[in-house]
Amino acid sequence: MTTEQTRTHAIDMNSILRGRDLSPEQLEITIKIENLNLFYGQKQALHNINMDIPKRRVTAYIGPSGCGKSTLLRCINRMNDLVDSAKIDGKILLDNENIYDKSVNVASLRRRVGMVFQKPNPFPKSIFENVAYGLRIQGINDKRALDETVEEALRGAALWDEVKDRLNDNALGLSGGQQQRLVIARAIAIEPEVLLLDEPASALDPISTLKIEELINELKEKYTIVIVTHNMQQAARVSDFTAFMYMGELIEIGSTSQLFTNPKKKQTEDYITGRYG
Amino acid sequence: MDSINIGHHISEQFNKELEDIRNHVLTMGGLVEEQIENAIKAFTTSDVELAEQVIKQDNQIDALEIALDRECMQIMALRQPTAFDLRLLITVLRIINELERVGDMAEHVAKMTLHLANIEGNKGESYYEIQHIADLVKAMLHDALDAFARMTVEQVPAITSRDENVDREYASIIRQQITYMMEDPRNITRTINVLWAVRSLERIGDHVCNICEHLVYMIKGEDVRHVSREELERKVKGE
Amino acid sequence: MISSWFKSGSPWIWLNAAAVSACLIMIVGVLGLIVVRGIGHFWPSQVARFSYQEDNAQAKTLFAEIIDTSVTPAAAAKISGYKMADDEDDLVQYQIKTGNRDVTGADFRWLQERNIKSQDLPADLMVVERREWGNFYGQLVAVKENGKTLASDGQAWSVAQTKIDEALIVYEEIAHLEKKEIGAINYSLEQLRLKGRKLELKGQLDETAKAAIENEKTELKKQYEQYQIQLRTLYQKIRSASLVAKTDSGKEVDIPVAKVVRIYQPNSMNLFHKIGHYFSKLGEFLADDPREANTEGGIFPAIFGTIMMVLIMSIIVTPFGVIAAVYLREYAKQGFTTRLIRIAVNNLAGVPSVVYGVFGLGFFVYILGGNIDKLFYPESAPAPVYGTPGLLWASITLALLTLPVVIVATEEGLARIPKSIREGSLALGATKFETLWNTVLPMASPAIMTGMILAVARAAGEVAPLMMVGVVKLAPTLPLDGNAPFIHLDRKFMHLGFHIYDVGFQSPNVEAARPLVYATALLLVLVIIGLNLAAIVIRNNLREKYRALEG
Repeated sequence: MTTEQTRTHAIDMNSILRGRDLSPEQLEITIKIENLNLFYGQKQALHNINMDIPKRRVTAYIGPSGCGKSTLLRCINRMNDLVDSAKIDGKILLDNENIYDKSVNVASLRRRVGMVFQKPNPFPKSIFENVAYGLRIQGINDKRALDETVEEALRGAALWDEVKDRLNDNALGLSGGQQQRLVIARAIAIEPEVLLLDEPASALDPISTLKIEELINELKEKYTIVIVTHNMQQAARVSDFTAFMYMGELIEIGSTSQLFTNPKKKQTEDYITGRYG
Repeated sequence: MDSINIGHHISEQFNKELEDIRNHVLTMGGLVEEQIENAIKAFTTSDVELAEQVIKQDNQIDALEIALDRECMQIMALRQPTAFDLRLLITVLRIINELERVGDMAEHVAKMTLHLANIEGNKGESYYEIQHIADLVKAMLHDALDAFARMTVEQVPAITSRDENVDREYASIIRQQITYMMEDPRNITRTINVLWAVRSLERIGDHVCNICEHLVYMIKGEDVRHVSREELERKVKGE
Repeated sequence: MISSWFKSGSPWIWLNAAAVSACLIMIVGVLGLIVVRGIGHFWPSQVARFSYQEDNAQAKTLFAEIIDTSVTPAAAAKISGYKMADDEDDLVQYQIKTGNRDVTGADFRWLQERNIKSQDLPADLMVVERREWGNFYGQLVAVKENGKTLASDGQAWSVAQTKIDEALIVYEEIAHLEKKEIGAINYSLEQLRLKGRKLELKGQLDETAKAAIENEKTELKKQYEQYQIQLRTLYQKIRSASLVAKTDSGKEVDIPVAKVVRIYQPNSMNLFHKIGHYFSKLGEFLADDPREANTEGGIFPAIFGTIMMVLIMSIIVTPFGVIAAVYLREYAKQGFTTRLIRIAVNNLAGVPSVVYGVFGLGFFVYILGGNIDKLFYPESAPAPVYGTPGLLWASITLALLTLPVVIVATEEGLARIPKSIREGSLALGATKFETLWNTVLPMASPAIMTGMILAVARAAGEVAPLMMVGVVKLAPTLPLDGNAPFIHLDRKFMHLGFHIYDVGFQSPNVEAARPLVYATALLLVLVIIGLNLAAIVIRNNLREKYRALEG
């Protein structure tokens, strides 16, 4: 046996032993949520949430409907500002800067924290214009720059090959799965740091869902991804960390493999195994 | 974890499937216990008929193992279980493997009975020297199955620690049998057959220990294979 | 039995069906009546020669068109004072149009059938459409020029045709000179006068300015003189020829060619001639100015005025309505105040339109217009510019009238845009305004167009408020012409709706004008349908573009 062969056959024991069980302590933290409370009028929707979201990893929120996971997600790019009755206290630190600070410009925050919604929501414009929308908003109108970025974003969203010949067609003519990838392309065209995905595959068929999941797996190389999903298997497949929420409280957060094989809290166990409490 | 219960799923059907699996494991365990019982009885009393019956019945255990295997696979494929349910199924897969091995050991003891009966000049001798070790492993297996049935792990350290008694008993039987061989070389054939049977019984003790470890994984979610006794006890107490 | 029939629900179905049928019948009836009466007006009807003997008087010859027939039972006729023979069951009467108002003093009369001795359709009976005094019925005798007979009898007809064609060309020239050229000079002169007055008011009217104005005035006057000379020759030319025709009473009448619009012999026309005649009349109706107190000729100024007013109204109402709706829906904090505003807006739609007219007159014309005149047009005092009803005020008044429709429709449209679209845009870092401008408003455009369609439909049909704020019976000039600044929003204008009212009830010859009322009504309906169709086509295109989001 030559040395060359020995090297190729050498087993990386470390990686096998570690598996996906990454410990959050070793990771760089992008978002830090501190003592976050949210009220809709009199009703408290989020109770004292504290958690860290690691950089370039996928963090998933699971929990029953109405548990506040979408609400929490929408706090991260201040989408809840649109709801008149919502009142927020606590902090969310994005790169150590509180996004609820008065000095923060919401529009530029949302450029850093992109969001994709449950139902694909392409604008009734051409495919090209959809992807270029965020850039045009920023005042970029140079044809060459737009062409380049649009192609790159569509490639990034694994959609380029399917639409490259009909960039000027109306985006509403695409299938649901393609629309959702288009929306993701639209979001990554403006190169955010964080991508928030609010049940991105819940309206899609299984194959499209798989494509989206595959895409998420690729996107985490470049972006910090936070995903809300009703589908526990999906959370298990795509995420590195999973947080379980129940009645507006963060019950448990841990690495996905730990949370799904050996949760620490009974509520989590009951929820993920489909038991009633 | 406060309490473990395989019921309380929103899906009644799922509850029933898990309950069936548990019952089948217990049935299999009962069968294995019965096999051991019979094999030991056959061995100690040189009951050839009983030994033959044990050998014949082993294929029932094998059939049960295959059936349970299939049931577990099906649930995994169809229901994508998580957390305790997932650990339960993995544990069941492992436990039935161990039980099947235990069944094989019983069969082995029965075969030794036949061997001894076929030795020339055998006049229906009795072999009570294995009785003690046999009682030890039988009790261990029974307790382990009991722990599985009740889904508790408090008994586990007590059960595994009894394996040391088994080992000690095994060592003393070996010494005793060596003495026999030294007494009279004509005893060698008989002694070796006895040693094989005792060896099988000792192996049952090891399998029971494995079952206990799997149980801990099932209930506590902690892997306790290849750890020291102290650590095992600590993990069982959930510290 | 009956109660179970009631419970089965079929009475309600029948009731619904009956209501729908009634609506359909009414719509078809209205349209049918207007279409039949209006379309038939331009068809050349035949002119009969009646030999008519009233009681014991001498038999008279009458040239006339039969317009209407009435049948009265004998008993009723007796009560009305008619003498009836015993063997007569009914009294049959014809309404005939005899024309020749200048000779007989009336266009129409009634004939009793029993007194008609004979009736035939002579091929040489001629109808002359004149610029004054209505139609002439008679027989062509000769064509004269400067007192000399050019042709008579057999050749007269073709000569008359060519003479009339020539005269029409000259007439066009005269009209062009009078309206366009001399009109422009008059307009310039008026502007010069105002300029002088303005300078005078400012105290800047020194000698040089005066001289400059004087100069321009003389220049214009010189041009005017030239046109006058041209006109004089043209008038001479057109006045030279005349037709000599015999009326039914045998009297010979001179009809100057200058007064003739067209002549035709309906009894000798074949189908193609009649169709040609029909379309030439229709063209005249659509493209020409009215004559004889609106009862003859075309209604072009009214069509033009209606469309112009509707367009200006749309231009005013759309941005206002959309901005108001966007504010109400997107920016204003929803609560008691916005509810109050919405209620107010909805109720505005229910205010009788004439009230808007009063408001327009009181506020826009007198207060706003009066102040504008004071501030910007002091030179034209005491004559008002904007302080009098006009196109601008009419359009604004109607814009106010239709504002609620546009606001409500736009709000509905905005409310229908899915939240996800706004969020999608906001999540890309767009501000609220950018989101509105780039995605929400384009997507709401079909709804905005719907609002506009409703507004146009309502505005085009309104008459009452317009009578107070700018519509007149006869406008001398169109609000759009070749004199800068081309659009004259201060001018009064004509309107189809008012035209119908005027012709139908206010004209000196209501009877003669009735078919015209139908024709105009039909045209008004067509104009409204046309405006609506255009808007609907645009809206449907938009809707197609944004189709997938409506579901």
